[in-house]
Amino acid sequence: MKSLEVQNNQCFDRAAIQFLDRDDFRNSVSELMQNNCRMIALTPVDVNNGRKIIAVLADSSSSMIHMVGGDFREGKLEFESWANDFPQTNYFECELSENYGYVPLNHPWLRPVRKQNVILKNKPYQFFKLEGEEVHEVAVGPIHAGVIEPGHFRFQCHGELVYNLEINLGYQHRGVEELLLKANQNQRIILSESIAGDTTIGHVFAHCNAIENLSNTQLSLRAEVIRTIASEIERIAMHLSALGGIANDVGFALPASSYGRLRTLAINSLAAICGSRFGRGLFVYGGVRFDLNETIINTVVENLKIINDDVREINKYLFSSVGALSRFEETGIVNTNLAKSIGLVGLAARASGIEEDTRINFPYGAYRYNPISMITLATGDVFARARMRAIEIEETIRFVFDQIENIPQGEIKSEHGRMAANSGVVSIVEGCRGEIVHIVFTDEARVLSNYKIKDPSFNNWYGLSLALRETAISDFPLCNKSFDLSYAGHDL
Amino acid sequence: MDLEILQGIISIIIILGVAPLFAGMVNKQKAVLTGRVGAPILQPYYELQRLIKKETINASGSSFISRISPLINLVTLIIAAAMLPVGFWKPLISFDGDIILFAYILGLVRFFQILAAMDIGSSFEGMGAAREATFALFAEPIFFFTIGSISFISGFTSLYDIYHSIQLTNISYEVFIIICSISVFMLAVTECSRMPVDDPNTHLELTMIHEVMILDNSGIDLFLYQYSSYVKLFIYAILEVSFFYPFSKQSYLIGIIIFITGAIALTFLLGVVETITSRYRMKNIPQYLLFATAIGILNLLIYTFTK
Repeated sequence: MKSLEVQNNQCFDRAAIQFLDRDDFRNSVSELMQNNCRMIALTPVDVNNGRKIIAVLADSSSSMIHMVGGDFREGKLEFESWANDFPQTNYFECELSENYGYVPLNHPWLRPVRKQNVILKNKPYQFFKLEGEEVHEVAVGPIHAGVIEPGHFRFQCHGELVYNLEINLGYQHRGVEELLLKANQNQRIILSESIAGDTTIGHVFAHCNAIENLSNTQLSLRAEVIRTIASEIERIAMHLSALGGIANDVGFALPASSYGRLRTLAINSLAAICGSRFGRGLFVYGGVRFDLNETIINTVVENLKIINDDVREINKYLFSSVGALSRFEETGIVNTNLAKSIGLVGLAARASGIEEDTRINFPYGAYRYNPISMITLATGDVFARARMRAIEIEETIRFVFDQIENIPQGEIKSEHGRMAANSGVVSIVEGCRGEIVHIVFTDEARVLSNYKIKDPSFNNWYGLSLALRETAISDFPLCNKSFDLSYAGHDL
Repeated sequence: MDLEILQGIISIIIILGVAPLFAGMVNKQKAVLTGRVGAPILQPYYELQRLIKKETINASGSSFISRISPLINLVTLIIAAAMLPVGFWKPLISFDGDIILFAYILGLVRFFQILAAMDIGSSFEGMGAAREATFALFAEPIFFFTIGSISFISGFTSLYDIYHSIQLTNISYEVFIIICSISVFMLAVTECSRMPVDDPNTHLELTMIHEVMILDNSGIDLFLYQYSSYVKLFIYAILEVSFFYPFSKQSYLIGIIIFITGAIALTFLLGVVETITSRYRMKNIPQYLLFATAIGILNLLIYTFTK
């Protein structure tokens, strides 16, 4: 095998990666993808040396992560694109091209990901155009009528029917990856907490896992469980807010405001644990900053009990309403094959019938000892994505109660050592939307040489644009909310 | 003679003055039903006050149509209001056949709004205009098959006379009126772009029908549009409540009580409907509208055969 195989959070030596020449590199990656591996990153090992890249692929069935190195020191920065056979690599290739000047040959549609001017060399971007007398184009954003994040959507429509949707993002690009490379230890945690405002714990969890494993820090079981509880409460809160959004988008006022009310209880539980409703400041290298005591546990349990009881009632009401169901069902379908080929992750993938949950496929933290159940639905429409959330909330609450009941004793913080030199680690965490990947490399001076982040939104925006095909344009907001993707997480 | 004109003028003033209050009450009901405190009942007045102070900005590519449309909107609605009997009073404009004028005066409002929306040249407004025009096509028969069928049965063609022909003595006529009021309610929901046809509270440009047409208006123009939409809602409310007046008694006290309770009951009904229903899929809206028309046709048939 020409690839390096590691497990989630396993620290490895950079020298163990074998760098192949361009044809070998391309074929090895193709072969892995043929064997059901998913691409999770395409990035150089060292940001200052863009000519040595690695492709990171995850194999869910064997829980292994494959790394294939490619050496482009000689000749042009060109490789034959995979995107025609494996559409999942489409965006990764665009990203690599944008950041390091690579040219994926025969790429179907090379477009800017975050920086509008790099690939296009300051020419304005030409959107995909449909021609015909009755065809019209609708441009939405980046400034919207509501208080939401900026993103530009370009619809090619025939009447009310959408034929093609292009999503142009990058308006929230803050250069998080570059900032993380420059930041000191204390700043890094704060930075990773703000990668995507609504997945604070997901990203900081992935970041801490990566850095701790690079420095061989062992966490106490109690710290692991507290982290897991916090991350699951965040999941409950985000699912509730997404369900509220979905109900609101079909104008269903009663469930919308009820979900909103329950979300407050969920984020207040996080505030009870760490003082911040979004879980900021809870994570430190080597553990957590705040311990759970009797009163905190009581508040959290009480809140979750109310959520558990009320959410069942509201779910029953929402999912038995004929009006709502007629909007949800068969709207924005992503079928299993399509979802697989474009590499959908997380909740959206599970709603399309793919058994893909990082907590089960690549267990980390407390999930290694306490399994959570795999939930999938087959239809891949708005209904499946909404229903997934409803079921996941119930399962997550069960899991949290289980954890709180059997919480282990011990220290909450252990000593954090120095990062190993010339090493790397891949850390995958299941955030509320899906798979969050942080890939970290260090150089011989024990300084970070590359920090690559992949938010689940990076994969799933592609899914949204395909889900809209042959769907009424008035159903776009509903589809959008059913995916509930992050702009900041994508734009970094 | 002079008294009648005075009464007509007072009617218009009542309609123009109370209209925002009615909208505020609907919103309050909706908030209370979803467990929120909600904005004050007088919020629409505050909104209007805010809008009138703002600067008016017109889209750069727009023509005079966009400038005159808001004013035409309000003026035509005031004319429509002048044809509506408030209580037992004779409206300012009343003649045989005025239901046709009433229907097409409201049509004129829509015509100018659609023109103005297309005039701006944005794809949003164009989309909204297309939707409004399509659904108006289905909404128009509702009016004629309900109000028209009462007119056919009673033999009158003026709104004032039609309502005064309602005598709650004949049982079959009573049932007929109640069923007609259902279709008028559905018509009101459609024409005033409320749930389940259009969501007045949504921020999602792509799903809007009415709101998206005024997306590029501001200041006085938006004030006029906004105020017109309140007046329009109230006109339909009066159309609805008038079914239940005790026209046979001609008692002012009972009339006022019924007017107020009827209007409050209607806000409650709108609030409930908006809380417990979700919006229809855009392509299903014509079915909903045809259903209301069918009620009208059925009514007419039933009345004809049971008479």
